[in-house]
Amino acid sequence: MDHYEQLKTICEGRFTAAPSELCCYSGDGSQVKGCPDFVVFPKTAGEVSQILAYANKHLIPVTARGSGTGLAGGAVPVNGGILLDMSQMNQIISVDINNIQITVEPGIVSDRINEALKPYGFFFPPDPGSAATCTIGGQIANNASGMRCVKYGTMKNYVLDLEVVLADGTIIHTGSNCLKSSSGYDLSRLFVGSEGTLGIITKAVLRIAPLPKSRKLIMISFPSPENAGLSVSRVFAAGVTPSACEIMDKTSVSVLTKLDPNIIFPRDGDVVLFEVDGSKNAVDESAELLAKACEDISSSILITDDPAKMKEIWDARRLLGAAISKLDPTKTRIYVGEDLGVPIRELPAMISKVYEITNSAGMTPMIYGHAGDGTVHVGLFIDVLDDKEWEKIHATADKLHLAAIELGGTVSSEHGIGAARGMYLEMQCGPAFDVMKAIKKTMDPNGILNPGKLGM
Amino acid sequence: MSFEKVDKRDLYRCVSCGNCRSVCPAFEQTGRESKNTRGRILIIRGIYEGKLDDESVFDSINSCTTCGYCTETCPAGVNPPKLVEAARAGLTKTGKMTPTQMRIRDTVAQYSNTLGVDGDRLGWLKEAGLNETGLNETGLKEAGLNETGLNETGLKEAEGEAKTKIKAVYFVGCLDSYRYPQTALKTYKILKNLGAGLLENEKCCGSPLIRLGFDREAADLIKHNAEQVKKSGADTIIAGCAGCFNTLKNDYALEGITVTTVSEYILSHISELKDWLAAENSDIHKLDIPVTYHDPCHSGRHNRVFDAPRALIREIVGAGNFKEMTNIREKSRCCGGGGGVRSGYNELSLAMAKSRLRDVPAGVQYIITTCPLCLRNLSDAGGDIPVIDIVELLSMATEK
Repeated sequence: MDHYEQLKTICEGRFTAAPSELCCYSGDGSQVKGCPDFVVFPKTAGEVSQILAYANKHLIPVTARGSGTGLAGGAVPVNGGILLDMSQMNQIISVDINNIQITVEPGIVSDRINEALKPYGFFFPPDPGSAATCTIGGQIANNASGMRCVKYGTMKNYVLDLEVVLADGTIIHTGSNCLKSSSGYDLSRLFVGSEGTLGIITKAVLRIAPLPKSRKLIMISFPSPENAGLSVSRVFAAGVTPSACEIMDKTSVSVLTKLDPNIIFPRDGDVVLFEVDGSKNAVDESAELLAKACEDISSSILITDDPAKMKEIWDARRLLGAAISKLDPTKTRIYVGEDLGVPIRELPAMISKVYEITNSAGMTPMIYGHAGDGTVHVGLFIDVLDDKEWEKIHATADKLHLAAIELGGTVSSEHGIGAARGMYLEMQCGPAFDVMKAIKKTMDPNGILNPGKLGM
Repeated sequence: MSFEKVDKRDLYRCVSCGNCRSVCPAFEQTGRESKNTRGRILIIRGIYEGKLDDESVFDSINSCTTCGYCTETCPAGVNPPKLVEAARAGLTKTGKMTPTQMRIRDTVAQYSNTLGVDGDRLGWLKEAGLNETGLNETGLKEAGLNETGLNETGLKEAEGEAKTKIKAVYFVGCLDSYRYPQTALKTYKILKNLGAGLLENEKCCGSPLIRLGFDREAADLIKHNAEQVKKSGADTIIAGCAGCFNTLKNDYALEGITVTTVSEYILSHISELKDWLAAENSDIHKLDIPVTYHDPCHSGRHNRVFDAPRALIREIVGAGNFKEMTNIREKSRCCGGGGGVRSGYNELSLAMAKSRLRDVPAGVQYIITTCPLCLRNLSDAGGDIPVIDIVELLSMATEK
């Protein structure tokens, strides 16, 4: 029986090798390309185990993929082989409010988890911008978070236990249902952010949090990007941990106001959107302290708890990535060099560096991101039909990555390394990269799991 | 592969982010990337670049209803339905098409309607003419008093009405003409009293051909209908079907002609309608019936006709009786019937319709819509709540 028949049998026909179907799995939101030889749609950990055991025996590369919303090529099968489309393992296995946790399959779309938790008054805090589409498996594999991680933490803070299929087909559990555990190496955290290079996640037990009773949004504009960056440390120094802290530079704000002239954004500078949540009294006090901390370095301050206004502002913020393309069809946002991160004290320096690098390349960037944790998202736009612009954007992204590392930062805050940023990992991690390689060698001696990723 | 209609920039602007996965109705049912917008665009690129040329591309490209929800959510500003239609056109031009596409093309060519009906397109009018004008059965045609009912030498004259050129024409559409003649009749009865007539010789608007990639074949129908409109002297076309409306508005080059929907036209003539009803000793009785409204993609999302049907429904049942579906307006979910999917992939089409029915709020007695194709597909999906055209609701309210 050849690979084709064998894989088809394991997944009871949930399998394809049709050229048009394979072509659909040849990319994600990055510029990384690679076509699988087979796509299978497993429904159980047992099926995944059989596939991996078979692939390990025959040295066939295996790449797991959820919704393919990644921005670094993490789920792109750059060496071909088997692609595991995990989106049919998409069930909520249990909601256990008494134990403050939920157990899910990896293919469930993130938003579905919050829909299920809402009636209980709970939520799952890591909230990537792609939550309506991305799967929790991909989110775990990339340690993906979002706007509210400044207060609530990232994915790694929420994983209690993972069921993982190892390269040889062995199924293990990395943790337990306990909210904490001091029992040897933290294998759950090892798999968070491992991008499918160490094993395939087939089940996850995730910690959840109670929904806050109250929220307030504080929109502050600043006369300079440096002041906007400075505001973040000022707010923390004032004793406030905001639940969101989103920075948008002048270009970003002007794009939004062009798209919707009635939008209630200030027109006079760089903007930081702070959100505080919790009990009503705590929220009122935090908002006041926050505003006071920024008073002397800001141009304007708007505080609101009006749900409609807050929605309008957050909706506009979410539009940002799309805004320029909608205004000008010859400008398409390309996701390269888009996910920089620095220690928050270096935020003003990173922002200046982004302007310096992009302006010298003749590009106008949009800078936005989760300032509260030092995430700097850079929006770069090109005419996709112009080869020279492609060259320019890749060269610019390279410089941005190097600048982040120079400032003691990271080439990826929350999108992952994949194949797009693998070449920087050794530079960023130093000798620790050799430890990573040793771990990989131990757990996947034949190198079948997502080869070509994480710079390995 | 001749892909001359494919907008190359649009094709390469898609950054494969996958946002469309959360909204594509075909993907929702199949879970297959190839049945999702992103997959379709990758496949179209594959064909465009000469990397894919086998028949495995058909099911992907032809399972799109062209509902356009993906256009709403696309951060790159791509218009996927246009790419899909252009790809279909490129494929059909070289003879690559599914049996369904072929059948629809041949049916429209033979009968000038999508249904393969060999009957009189205005058969329903004859009866109306008899009732309203007293003409005998052969009178309408033989006397040359036309089937339009309303041009200078036509029905108006027979009715002794003023010799005025009609200001608007009611474009009935294939489905209402042959499948829902009662709706066509009721619509016509209302519109005729608001100054509208009919085309002398209406043919299929060409929408099914354009959506399936037969632009050249559609061109003849467009030319014919455009000449008919010119001949009528009307400056407004009132389309009874969302698909016809979208096509007449966006695929016809009708200079100086306003294309509108039945609900928009009635709403903008509501005073006249009430005056006419009063003269008939009637009015729009408030119906104490809870109803909801399904936005057809081709009038709603594609052309932003959202408010008029809602306003008209509220006029009929009162604001309190109008309940919105879960997903509405720009975010309304497709009935599954468009883009040739009802014909080519009926099971998938009905699955989409069933899914849409889950958006219906509890307690409503009717699902109102303004497109006979949506009406048919949602009805066929087997829900308990009747799906009716907005004109049927209006007729209930004006019955004496």
